[in-house]
Amino acid sequence: MRESSSKRHYNEPLARIVKKDAMSNQRMAAYSVFALILAIAAGGVFIFSLGYNPFKVYATIVSGAFRSSISTQGTIKIAIPLLIASLGITHAFKMQFWNIGAEGQIIMGGIFATYFALFHSDWPHWLLMLVMCAAGMLGGGLWALIPAFFKTKYGTNETLFTLMLNYIALYMIKYLAEGPWLDPKASGFPKIASFEKNARLDEVFGVHAGWIIGLVLVGVVYFYLKYSKQGYEIAIVGESENTARYAGMNVKKIIMRTMFLSGAICGIAGMTQVSGAAYTLSEGVAGGVGFTAIIVAWLAKLNPFVILLVTIGFSVLEKGSSVMQSSFGLPTSVSDILQGIILFFILGCDFFTRYKLIFRKGGQKNDN
Amino acid sequence: MQYPQLSLLLEAGGILACNRHLTASHRVPAVANYFLTGEIMQKEKTHATAIELKGITKTFGSVVANNQIDLSVRKGEILALLGENGSGKTTLMNMLSGIYRPDSGSVLLNGEAVTINSPEDAIEFGIGMIHQHFKLVDVLSATDNIMLGVKGGSRWLKKTRSDKIQEISRHFGLDISPEKKIYQMSVGEKQTVEILKVMYRNANILILDEPTAVLTPQETKKLFDILRRMKAEGCAIIIITHKLNEVMEISDRVTILRKGESIATVETAETNAHELTELMVGRPVELSIDRPENGFEETLLEVHHLTVANEEGFEAIQDIKFELKRGEILGVAGIAGSGQKELCEAMAGLLPVSKGAILYNKENIIGKSPEEIIKMGISMSFIPEDRLGMGLAASMGMVDNMMLKTYKKNKGPFVSRKEARELSKRLIKQLGIVTPGVDTPVRRLSGGNVQKVLLGREIESNPNVLITAYAVRGLDINSSYTIYDSLNEQKQKGVGILFIGEDLDVMLELCDRIMVLCHGKVTGIVEAKTSTKEEIGLLMTGGSGKEGSADA
Amino acid sequence: MKKKLLSLILTAVMAASVLTACGTADSKDSSTATESTEKEAIALEDFKVGVIHIGDPADGSGYSFTHDQGIVEMQEELGLEDSQVIRKNNIADGDAVATRTAIEECIEEGCQLIFGTSWGYMDTMEELAEEYPEVMFSHATGYKSNGTNFNNYFGRIYQARFLSGIAAGMKTETDKIGYVAAMDNQNSEVTGGINAFAMGVESVNPDAVIYVKVTNTWFDPTLEGQAAEALLDMGCDVIAQHQDTTAPQLAAQNRGAWSCGYNSDMTKDAPKAHLTAPIWNWGVYYTLTAKAVMEGTWDAANYYGGMDDGLVDISPLSENCAEGTAEKIEEARAKILDGSLKIFEGSLFDNEGNEVCKEGETISDADITGNMTWYYKNVEVK
Repeated sequence: MRESSSKRHYNEPLARIVKKDAMSNQRMAAYSVFALILAIAAGGVFIFSLGYNPFKVYATIVSGAFRSSISTQGTIKIAIPLLIASLGITHAFKMQFWNIGAEGQIIMGGIFATYFALFHSDWPHWLLMLVMCAAGMLGGGLWALIPAFFKTKYGTNETLFTLMLNYIALYMIKYLAEGPWLDPKASGFPKIASFEKNARLDEVFGVHAGWIIGLVLVGVVYFYLKYSKQGYEIAIVGESENTARYAGMNVKKIIMRTMFLSGAICGIAGMTQVSGAAYTLSEGVAGGVGFTAIIVAWLAKLNPFVILLVTIGFSVLEKGSSVMQSSFGLPTSVSDILQGIILFFILGCDFFTRYKLIFRKGGQKNDN
Repeated sequence: MQYPQLSLLLEAGGILACNRHLTASHRVPAVANYFLTGEIMQKEKTHATAIELKGITKTFGSVVANNQIDLSVRKGEILALLGENGSGKTTLMNMLSGIYRPDSGSVLLNGEAVTINSPEDAIEFGIGMIHQHFKLVDVLSATDNIMLGVKGGSRWLKKTRSDKIQEISRHFGLDISPEKKIYQMSVGEKQTVEILKVMYRNANILILDEPTAVLTPQETKKLFDILRRMKAEGCAIIIITHKLNEVMEISDRVTILRKGESIATVETAETNAHELTELMVGRPVELSIDRPENGFEETLLEVHHLTVANEEGFEAIQDIKFELKRGEILGVAGIAGSGQKELCEAMAGLLPVSKGAILYNKENIIGKSPEEIIKMGISMSFIPEDRLGMGLAASMGMVDNMMLKTYKKNKGPFVSRKEARELSKRLIKQLGIVTPGVDTPVRRLSGGNVQKVLLGREIESNPNVLITAYAVRGLDINSSYTIYDSLNEQKQKGVGILFIGEDLDVMLELCDRIMVLCHGKVTGIVEAKTSTKEEIGLLMTGGSGKEGSADA
Repeated sequence: MKKKLLSLILTAVMAASVLTACGTADSKDSSTATESTEKEAIALEDFKVGVIHIGDPADGSGYSFTHDQGIVEMQEELGLEDSQVIRKNNIADGDAVATRTAIEECIEEGCQLIFGTSWGYMDTMEELAEEYPEVMFSHATGYKSNGTNFNNYFGRIYQARFLSGIAAGMKTETDKIGYVAAMDNQNSEVTGGINAFAMGVESVNPDAVIYVKVTNTWFDPTLEGQAAEALLDMGCDVIAQHQDTTAPQLAAQNRGAWSCGYNSDMTKDAPKAHLTAPIWNWGVYYTLTAKAVMEGTWDAANYYGGMDDGLVDISPLSENCAEGTAEKIEEARAKILDGSLKIFEGSLFDNEGNEVCKEGETISDADITGNMTWYYKNVEVK
């Protein structure tokens, strides 16, 4: 028995997984870029297998996102809620609080802002905008506070909790659209009335001012997380709750405060969506942005400036894919697959930043 | 082949390859035993090399953990693998047990080159490793744990197997009840189960990684008895340790590792602790710890009837009472998990206290907020056991870690990293912290340097009470002595120090008094100068020492 | 402090954006003012049409399919290349952002004419019409228009419903006819349809009663089927519907009852039950409008086509129909076509006994589609 088994072990496995040293940021970035290139190549093979010219399709995606001022504006419009929501999520994620509820927080921000747009549209424009923004923050913040409260009080699982709240928020819109806020002019069609001009977010360079809010937030969030006391507390709690308690921090308070902030920023995204993009509150107000934002924040390693870059990348892909769909007749699911391929490679590259594979050296015998 | 049950028993995996005498008291007929092991064992017992490592190299990224290491163990021999923390002992043994694979070099088993790809392979080769952290299923019995993962056989063999386990236990003096559940066992018993586990799998090469770290002196003695018996049976044993007295006591030969290289292999009988230390550290080291006297008399803290429930609601500390004087190091000894952690955390205000009082100047500080406590003039510093999990933020640099308790002092909403940066630089110089930079995440520093960062920060806050939990765990000798010196320096300043320790030799030298905990109760407080290891060992398991009852 | 700072920045941003936005808004307004009257003709090869579908025409039946058949007809009629028709499918009409994005993408592609086929697109299209005065927007089933580049199109489907009512009235033996309705009397489109159907029934069978069951959904096979079951349980032996699926037809067939479909000929779905269905022929309007836009003559007036235009009709009568049905229907059809039968013509009474239309008066098409909340006298809502 031993004879045969020892023979078996003369062969080493083809490849072994070995842990790597921590990498420098530059190398990490280089890996990500390499992964992106691989993803594009793999996506190209996929497109080719469908019988299309991958170069043309990719060119269409990029040009489709920027071919005219309308399309550039369209790309930016896609980017705005994604950027703001990603920044919101970043707060929670930095604290290792897995807020999967950005979708719901965006919706609640939208609902709160819509209240003022529908019933106080006569207020002075700038006041109304500020109030709607504040209301959006309050809505998103409170919605995020619920899971934070239960997490700190009863130790509930925030991932499931925030996820479930998304659906409740969505049905809340349904309820409002069918009942209390039903557009009287809609002849029974369940929709909420379009906002009056006064309740719409102003446009700057052809795109609603949400992009300015987003850009400002990038800076604000960066400084808040990096240089403020609260940002420091968030990082410590995320690092280890025990260390935070050890340092005399009120962990529960920090979790609640940070989740409120996280939700509030997502709420701003909701506000800009209803008042700048949709001009009404509809079920599509969040439209999956809250989920994409998780991926964006994750890919960007929670760095606000990288989030900006990743957001632009995603928006180009989304906008371009839509153009690809109409010009090549490719179904939208193809662009979903492309997005999936890119995610797969970039997330997969994370593995190679931490581990390496050692292959069996060719011809080398172990009996030396 | 007139004994059909022979093959059956073989399948059950019940025959110990290194155990020739086992069968004498067993039902397996002598002829079968002879057939299995008899003559071969007879030959092998005569100091043949059991396993040999040649030129083993292992790197982790840019770190060379093992560099061209040679090592061999003979049958019937106990080899001590001596080296400071980080010298590569555990890495080397993990390669023997199939957890890692060497980058280069070869392993010879009975003179034959083998490749060990997995722990399963290691077991097939008869190599069994007892890890520092036990790998047992708490809710299962000893028997179930031992048989867990043994391939082949069916349920009805359980009885036979159980018998087998009893046989092995009896033979080696491994004292366990097979049906006892793991969670009901003491640390020593758990270790016994681990040993049984590998013996049951026919191990004849046994590796023990710091086996005495968690044991009382009495348990250590028992373990050594077991090891001696195994040695007599022809097993090859490698014991990893950094405790010199144990090396001297148990081993036949010592292989010393330093910074990933094998420095020397010496016969234990021909060496002494001093020489070994020199080999281990690389230069002569003064091995005595100071216990400076000072004139402080006043009581700093009085703890009365303290009862603390841990996170699961179990009373980890029950009704304990002691006082801490200024300029005193009060040691806290006890088997791991006797309530040390809870005591520290309760005193540092991190765990709620169910009952009792901690008096400072006759005023109870329990229930007060950290700010209020500071206002009373108490500055308590706590160096927790799990440094990266509690005292420090692992992925942050020194600068950010320095601010942990002081970040609020800066006015306005922002933090100021200026002072923290200066402090970091100063500590690097003062304590000789080795780090690529003040912003390098502390988890990338070695254990000793992490401890220095933490200790430096806490001492810098000028405490009058300092609580340290396992302050030198995982540190090399140099770092340990730096820490002892720092603690003595604080003591001379009048700081009251609660020193939770595990190495009784060190505690007897360093501390003024030693309080012994057992199951959350104080079983005695002894004067370190006049006490002995054995006395403390007895108190640790609940027996009473000669002065035990006086203070408890 | 932090929050104060944030709000300061936000206020500044807001203020700045208000100023700049005012500027752009002004210029936009003035451009719309000078536009409007003259439109240039578009060469055939430069002409592009966008279509926003709520579903996917590839489904092969139902609402979006019917509309797309019309688009295909228009494309063939005009001789447009496939690349000259941009389709945006599966655009949920509850999602204003998605609607806007889809339409803007059509504009990007260079479409000069965009059809929106679902009710929920209306407000968004109206807004976009203002933003893009050079693009023509035409929206189905709504009521708004701006007289320059945005209109609504719909048709006198009630004429076809009246005819299908005749078939139902002839067939029923229990004198109880069920009607599965998507919406209640808040929706004129549905209510007007029920009334027309009821009048068709009354014209051949004054004793019959129409039981209406509201599902509150346009598309839900389960609910639609359940509503039909409930009506059958009440003794109805003919089931009509204003719904998007064939579930009520199947329910009737299972019970051995009869049925009238909607949108497309449902005889193929329920061959043993189906009598006839009011159907749309959108190609008529799409061809008409596309031609007008190409020639620069489109006036963006709301379009309301009828049987005379060929926009609405009933599907061929199945062999399930009672004897004499074809004759009765032909008779009514002739009257509708020559204008002597207007259907909503006084004197009419609702089911609460009020006279809703006086002798000699007629109800306008706008009221029938946009402002009808009463049920005809032989209708009972269950």
